[in-house]
Amino acid sequence: MVSFVDEKPVTEDSVKSDAKGRLREASQLLRQVVRFHPRLFVIAVSGATLFAVCTVASSIGLRWMIDRVILVRFERGEVDLFALIVGSIIVIGIGLLRALGVVIRRSFAGKTEWRTCETITEKVVDHVVAQPIEWHRQKMTGDIVARCGVDADASVAILAPLPFSTSVLVMMVVSAGWMLYVDIPLGLVAVVVFPILLTLNIGYQRRIDRYYNLAQQELGDLSEAVHESFDGVMVVKSFGAENRETERLAKITARLKDARIDAIGVRSIFEAMLDAIPTLINIILITLGAYRVKAGEMTVGDLSSFIYLFTLLVFPLRIIGYLFSEIPHSVAGWRRIREVLDEDVFEDPATKILNAPMGFGIDLNGINFSHVNGAPILKNLTMRVASGKTVALVGATGCGKTTLLHAVAGLILPDSGSVAVQDGGVALVFQEAFLFAESLRYNITLDSDISEEQISLAISIADCHEFLKNLEQGLDTVMGERGVSLSGGQRQRVALARAIAQNRPILLLDDTTSALDPKTEARIIANLRRISNDHTVLVVASRPSTIALADEVLFMAEGHIVEQGTHEQLLQSSEQYRALITAFEHDRKAS
Amino acid sequence: MNEPTGRFITARTINRGFGVAPALAKGIGVTSVLALIGSLARVVVPILMQQTIDKGLQPGNIRLGFIVQMSAIAAVSVVVAAFALRQAVLRLGIGAEEGLYTMRVKLFDHIHRLSLADHNEERRGALVSRVTSDIETLTMFFSWGALVWLLDGSLMFVVACVMLAYDWILALVAFAVSAPLFLVLRNLQKRLVAAYDLAREHNAELLGSVSELVSGTETLRAYQAHQPMVDRSKRAVRKRADSQIRAGVIGAFLFPSGEVFAVFTIVAIIIVGVFRGVDGGLTAGSMVGFVFLTYRFLEPIAEFTEVVDQTQTAVAGLRRVLSVLDTPTGPQAPVNPIELPNVPLSIELREVSFSYSSRLDSQDDDLPVLRNISLSIPAQQHIALVGASGSGKTTLARLIARFADPNLGSICLGGVNLKRIDNDDLRRRLVVVPQEPFLFAASVAENLLFASPKSTREDLNRVIDQLELTDWIESLPKGIDTYVGQRGSSISAGERQLVALARAALTNPDVLILDEATSAVDAIAEVRLAKALQALSQGRTTISIAHRLSTAARADRVIMLEHGSVTEDGSHEQLLQDDCEYAKIYAQWLSATSTGD
Repeated sequence: MVSFVDEKPVTEDSVKSDAKGRLREASQLLRQVVRFHPRLFVIAVSGATLFAVCTVASSIGLRWMIDRVILVRFERGEVDLFALIVGSIIVIGIGLLRALGVVIRRSFAGKTEWRTCETITEKVVDHVVAQPIEWHRQKMTGDIVARCGVDADASVAILAPLPFSTSVLVMMVVSAGWMLYVDIPLGLVAVVVFPILLTLNIGYQRRIDRYYNLAQQELGDLSEAVHESFDGVMVVKSFGAENRETERLAKITARLKDARIDAIGVRSIFEAMLDAIPTLINIILITLGAYRVKAGEMTVGDLSSFIYLFTLLVFPLRIIGYLFSEIPHSVAGWRRIREVLDEDVFEDPATKILNAPMGFGIDLNGINFSHVNGAPILKNLTMRVASGKTVALVGATGCGKTTLLHAVAGLILPDSGSVAVQDGGVALVFQEAFLFAESLRYNITLDSDISEEQISLAISIADCHEFLKNLEQGLDTVMGERGVSLSGGQRQRVALARAIAQNRPILLLDDTTSALDPKTEARIIANLRRISNDHTVLVVASRPSTIALADEVLFMAEGHIVEQGTHEQLLQSSEQYRALITAFEHDRKAS
Repeated sequence: MNEPTGRFITARTINRGFGVAPALAKGIGVTSVLALIGSLARVVVPILMQQTIDKGLQPGNIRLGFIVQMSAIAAVSVVVAAFALRQAVLRLGIGAEEGLYTMRVKLFDHIHRLSLADHNEERRGALVSRVTSDIETLTMFFSWGALVWLLDGSLMFVVACVMLAYDWILALVAFAVSAPLFLVLRNLQKRLVAAYDLAREHNAELLGSVSELVSGTETLRAYQAHQPMVDRSKRAVRKRADSQIRAGVIGAFLFPSGEVFAVFTIVAIIIVGVFRGVDGGLTAGSMVGFVFLTYRFLEPIAEFTEVVDQTQTAVAGLRRVLSVLDTPTGPQAPVNPIELPNVPLSIELREVSFSYSSRLDSQDDDLPVLRNISLSIPAQQHIALVGASGSGKTTLARLIARFADPNLGSICLGGVNLKRIDNDDLRRRLVVVPQEPFLFAASVAENLLFASPKSTREDLNRVIDQLELTDWIESLPKGIDTYVGQRGSSISAGERQLVALARAALTNPDVLILDEATSAVDAIAEVRLAKALQALSQGRTTISIAHRLSTAARADRVIMLEHGSVTEDGSHEQLLQDDCEYAKIYAQWLSATSTGD
């Protein structure tokens, strides 16, 4: 059989495997996610470039103001109105352009991020839906949902800060050029300092992320322990263990607290350093600048604009650390997305179902089926059910009854043997009814075209009309969290109505009616018999009273049919069957 | 917060928070002074520029020595400020963590002591989020919001002082031109928060839709009905992307607005400064200094506006935390406990009435669950409580176990009123085995030891032997050290019951309250359970909440409850002879479990 063995989930550790591989994976991620919506991305980067260029240009505006307006006024006592107006226009104009750059960059970075996320999620959804049931059984629902949700979000999270970091790069190059143009020695100092500051910021971010991840793990542990402890409050109270539980939780909380205090220790040092170091460099630049001014190599305006530009650059340099902290996260998310997308879509077992010979509803021939772990479930199983009959499938827990029904319904692909059913298909009612958070009508029709008569027939056969009467909105009542919740028995009856409404010649009931009280169960079985002239019904049953209602019993043990006959016949002929029925009746015997 | 007293309530909430966790407020004065010193570093460069331009770089009179001297002073103050800043961040952070630790532990203790009436399924999630996400909002606040209030508050204060010292007219111009920024930011901020709320909502919708698509996949496959569900999920995906993008665009306008205002403020300062000239006592240096200070002054405003919302969230979280602490705890411990007599214990109920009235949030189902029940259960008798669901069986059992006190009437155990019995004493003598026994994610042995941590391996083995469970334990992969999984999920329902029975037996109680499981277990487990139950209840006063009437048939006495009152009371045989309700339901049950032949 096909194996869908899941790979181990990606952990932070495995992401940090080796630096080279990590870099390659990161650049791969960038190339791939950018390609989904390149136009949006290019616009975002253009906005970022506008911002970068205007940031450098704003220092030129300031230099104009200082050299031509302020110094002229305070050193020579003249008001140069023309220079003042031009300077104001330059400063305001560049400021507005710079803001415009930010607006474009952020809007389009967001657009790129979320449109890409949308594209990726749609791909994952399509892929997941195309996979057969067996694939799904080997995955946790939460895991698949995570891949459509948080993993998709994580893999595109890199797209938002990406244009910004390109703008930081542009800014560093342009301002380095400008500074060197204004004054070579001073410019050199600044050029050397940029990469140092950048490294310091990235290093800090990495380090603090490690601490925060640790703290986050402790928080996860705590919330798990709290859930458990509060869920078990009955046991805690029963044994008077309130103090012990509080102490246990307090210990975990103390670990969280300590992890966070460690993080604060690191953070406080870096916060102070990242504040002080650029300021100290600024002070050095001022001192050096004074020498250059004395040497006549630069003006006071040059110096001021230099310091001003340097101040403006400190903030972006500081933010860029965040980008780097996003990368491992995004890489991990993207890897999990790729796992789903790169997997082949397996064949739909329903396409392998054959047509049963005339007069037979179900015809299974030499079916073998094993669990993923290799344990055989169905062993060379052969059975035939004449059409129009109601047949009970009886067997101990774990003998393969459900698997058999799923093979007939075309949900799983047998390793060998053939499955044939009467033309028109199968309606299966699962052991656990699944209702969608939609209207009752939707739950019965599943959005296919079914006449009102057919719906009301299904409702009355499945004995739903009783509780439907009490629902104000009748069939339009919405189920689920925000709607009405039904009891287990009611849900089963809706699932049954769904199967009947689909009007397929074969009806498979997987212990469906066991959640109902015996009276209701008997009524429904009787109703089913009314329609069963044209329906073949195969019902997994464990209540002796239900089994007795069937035309025939298929007795199943260890993956194949051991006997076939009426309930009475089997009680007579098979000791094994008698033992099983006795076990079902255990309660009665006990009294 | 529309009510006029909103601000007062906020202040009171914060004050009470400090009361619960004093470490939060401890030494806050010193921390504030350190923060003020720390923010001085941010004004060093503007001041140094001003000094350099005005006193060091006068045309024709360049005093390099003075500039070096000033720079050295500036450098030293930056280093000092950095140390102060570090201390301030550290002190605030540690105080917050210590305080929140105390608050969490107080919550754990309080919640464990809440009455079971405040502990039902619906409220469990709320209680968990009180100690996790609500306290987390406070953690977030202290790691950012509080820091911003403290550091940026100090910074704005210091910058404003320096500006006023240079020139009060220019300072006022700067304040006036930049003031509307605050309003603009508040406005955008509000829209942004609303936009993100919507995005979050759409995100939840997306996840809900996909999760339904995935968990309903068998049904959808069986009926080939995916397409409408896939379309629905894709619509949800698009809606979420749209709302995220919208929020992003609002953020895109919010972000640069501070810089736009900075540009206008700088131009305004220069224009006013240039026209005032030297006569106003202005200098070129202080003009340049002003330009730098303007940035310093406007930087924190954007953060402030964000922090206002975070602060409100944190106060709301604190309020929810406090409201849990305000919920009175369950049955009160007696002031002068009376020790239970060292003999088998009888149970006596006198005119007991009870209703669940919720305290955490109001609900209207305050109907009485038990009405005027009087019962006398001699020591070592086996009682079966029967009745339809909602008839009050479980509630009655809970009252006898003192998980809640009756509203009216009294319950005595061994002749002592439950209210006068010390909790430890009571728990040693009375044990409850609930319907769905809860197991911790640990080994079988650890789960047993939960009942009595001091028991030895021999004690465990003895109890297992008593209940005839040795062969079962040996059949487990690692015997008694087998891990049972989250909530016992790695073993079957029947096996969970077995562990719960052994756990109960370990304390060797006098009184046993058993809530029978409704879920079906396989035949072999069923036999084991019956044997173990038999052994466990031997010689103990036992109250079984019977869902299977075979259990009732085995009991010494059957008590039938209907709508919270005792309607029938007698032995199984007696009740069957009368033409009563019990006889009817017994006949029904019998026919359902028979083969029909």
